[in-house]
Amino acid sequence: MGIKTVLLGIYDRHYKALLALSLLILLASIGVIVMSKVQTGEYFQKGVSLKGGLTLTIPVREVHVDALEAALSNQFPRADVSVRGITEAGELKALIVEASDIQEDDLITALRGQGLPLEPGTYSVEVMGSTLGQSFYRQTIIAVLLAFLFMSIVVFITFRSPLPSLFIILAAASEIISTVAVVNLLGVKLSTAGVAAFLMIIGYSVDTNILLTVKVLKHQGSTVFERTVQTMRTGVLMSLTAFAATMVGYVFIQSDVVKQIMLIISIGLLFDIIYTWLQNAGILRWYFERKHKHAEGEHRG
Amino acid sequence: MRKVSIVGKLKRMLTNVRIIIFLVFVLFMLFAIMPTPWNEGVMIKNVIKNSSAAIAGIQNPKANAPPLSKEIILNINNKPINDIQNYYTFVKGLRINQTIQVRTNKGLYKLVTKEAFQIIELNTTQEITVQEEREVNETVNGTVLLVNKTMPVRKLVEVTARKSIGLEDLGLRVDNAPTTNLRKGLDLQGGTRVLLKPAEQVSEDTLNLMIDSLKERLNVYGVSDIVVAPVQDKPGFLGEPNRFILVEIAGATEEEVKELLARQGKFEATVGNKTVFRGGQDVTYVCRTAECSGIDPQRGCGPVQGGFVCGFLFSISLSPAAAQRQADATKNLKVITERGGGYLSEPLKLYLDDQEVDSLNIAEDLKGRAVTDIAITGSGFGASQEEAARSTLENMKRLQTVLITGSLPVKIDIVRIDIISPTLGLQFLKNAWWAGLLAVAAVALILVINYRRIMIAIPIALTSMAEVLLAIGVYALFGWSFDLAAIAGLIVAVGTGVNDQIIIIDETLKKQTSGIVFGWKERIKKAFFIIFSGYCTEVVAMLPLLFAGAGLLKGFALTTIIVVSIGVFITRPAYAAMIQILYEGKD
Repeated sequence: MGIKTVLLGIYDRHYKALLALSLLILLASIGVIVMSKVQTGEYFQKGVSLKGGLTLTIPVREVHVDALEAALSNQFPRADVSVRGITEAGELKALIVEASDIQEDDLITALRGQGLPLEPGTYSVEVMGSTLGQSFYRQTIIAVLLAFLFMSIVVFITFRSPLPSLFIILAAASEIISTVAVVNLLGVKLSTAGVAAFLMIIGYSVDTNILLTVKVLKHQGSTVFERTVQTMRTGVLMSLTAFAATMVGYVFIQSDVVKQIMLIISIGLLFDIIYTWLQNAGILRWYFERKHKHAEGEHRG
Repeated sequence: MRKVSIVGKLKRMLTNVRIIIFLVFVLFMLFAIMPTPWNEGVMIKNVIKNSSAAIAGIQNPKANAPPLSKEIILNINNKPINDIQNYYTFVKGLRINQTIQVRTNKGLYKLVTKEAFQIIELNTTQEITVQEEREVNETVNGTVLLVNKTMPVRKLVEVTARKSIGLEDLGLRVDNAPTTNLRKGLDLQGGTRVLLKPAEQVSEDTLNLMIDSLKERLNVYGVSDIVVAPVQDKPGFLGEPNRFILVEIAGATEEEVKELLARQGKFEATVGNKTVFRGGQDVTYVCRTAECSGIDPQRGCGPVQGGFVCGFLFSISLSPAAAQRQADATKNLKVITERGGGYLSEPLKLYLDDQEVDSLNIAEDLKGRAVTDIAITGSGFGASQEEAARSTLENMKRLQTVLITGSLPVKIDIVRIDIISPTLGLQFLKNAWWAGLLAVAAVALILVINYRRIMIAIPIALTSMAEVLLAIGVYALFGWSFDLAAIAGLIVAVGTGVNDQIIIIDETLKKQTSGIVFGWKERIKKAFFIIFSGYCTEVVAMLPLLFAGAGLLKGFALTTIIVVSIGVFITRPAYAAMIQILYEGKD
């Protein structure tokens, strides 16, 4: 008996346990987000583009990122300074310094004092007003909620069947929640572009879930499990190819903005596999088998 | 099983409507992008006002000209200039008062280099005598009259010195010659982006007025590679949005932009060197509605040598004080009579930020009269009557904007400023292409491992690249700026395209285990149902993003929508047709 058969056996017999596992992951993710809210007052850490402040991108080759951050934090105890390196395939290409509550000139003087070559024209500066940052934050959150609403309407129109549509929406929501939790754990500070990436997760998630639901709902002739397994090969391949593309993007692209988008979508795609094939497939099977029993019971009665 | 030769299959592909449509689009977009990697020389981005280059007659490129239409410097003093390195090396070796010959793809210019001076205040004052006009009482023929008389006046002035600071900049802002018609966004070419917010809520009209005024002032400054656009954070039907003005200036430094925006748009009108009115308090009203502005009904349009001329007319209101100054300044002027009426010997000159922008003749009936409501007239020329009318109205709008500048109702604040280094931007772009190719390779590898058939992976990889080409073509065609957000959207959207192609493959080529065997048409129809549902959700999910963040994420949302739409309507049908021709009858 090959490993494939064993796995399929587990997937077949213990689908309810696997469904419960996916729900546990969802609960744990919600826990992480609530913890963050309690500890820091925010559901996730906001970067300067969402709360105001300035970002410097400086091309460098060799720099001790942590030491620089410590030195800057010492020098400006009241400012919220963070320093990170931008790597391309592991090689340091540039330095990103993000800081709130600090003047641009003070920061540049301090960086020069740390021995960084800051020639005008070689580095980039982005300055974001704090009121504008907060309004961007509100707007992007509203954009995600609206996108979610629109997506739900399209799904309901496509299937005209309330429960399976609701399962798709649950899967998409779970993916976003879990991705936010992992982003939190990784200590990533979200930018406006990062929030936009969550919208793409909705897109990818709905793709695989619609595929599954269409197959299970509209094609008759075999059992729900057989149809699920047939579709899973296609669906997992879809998520994996997309994951490969975004992962390559994450590792090799130098731009911080694009890197964050790629990271968030990569995480979302991994959760897509869990929430489509453990959660949604499990709920759908459960739902159909109950419906089936119900129908049989009525026949007998 | 029927065996079809490769040639036969190729023939069927090239006669398939869906594949033909796809190929036509690819060719069309290639034409729009116009890749010319062999281009050499340096492109002129901007010509600074009053610089050596401007004096020699080199024109500033038009604001929205496609990259490939811009003027390119080919050689200087017969030395070939292949890239900006060559250019800067050459410029470094220049001396003061040297004449150089610049050959471009449009002509030959003779530039004379100038010396640059710095004005230094020496903190001392000096008494000098100047001739000044004063009003004095004089007795003429027994009556006392108030007359203007020129007399020497002693004055204290600050002493300044001129110090040479070496060679003055030639006044050319250049970049390497473009190799495609794709306009690079600010984060890929470097420059400054500023988001301005009116200090209070303004209507759309007011905002547009502010934008026109800003554009006019930036033109005076001599910056042409510039975007000044209104942005709002939600569509109008969802209630009153927050409005912003986005200013993007390629190649400008932070200091230049801040200085430019800090200046309060100074407007001044003079008659014979006397200021008669300034922007702000003096011009109280400029009519821009149809009742009191437009083509002058009395003069209308008429043929002249080589084309047509139209006249415009609009009315403005002056404050009583400004009207009085106008009367004082004009009362001693001579009247010059020409056919159709007379005008005064000195014109009314309009200055914006100390640069003369226009000069108007003053009608004779205004001489010495303090009139608060006056009509401003002017004209425009064009090859046809329509063109003349259009240019007349354009001239009128420009003049109105100039008159309003300085009396802008609302103060503007800088809420966001980004300065992007050109070297970093270039690095990002090179790196993104490379990463994109690598991503396609990774996807192809996974597909080959999964299907164990290279003939499935290759069409998918080719289709993905075609989608990238088509999307970039759309950007080149509409002259939109292609930026980092667009690159991110492109990679992500091409990923969903691969997903759709996997669905097509699996729906059509997988062995049918359910017992019912569907025909090709049925199978493709089923695949497209799934693809189309996915497409709709992706598009609606991206719509809110077109507005969020004051439009700064528009590139991401727009690219995603464009790529998935191209996919569903152009490449996917062609791909399905290709797969059908390749594999039909094999299963």
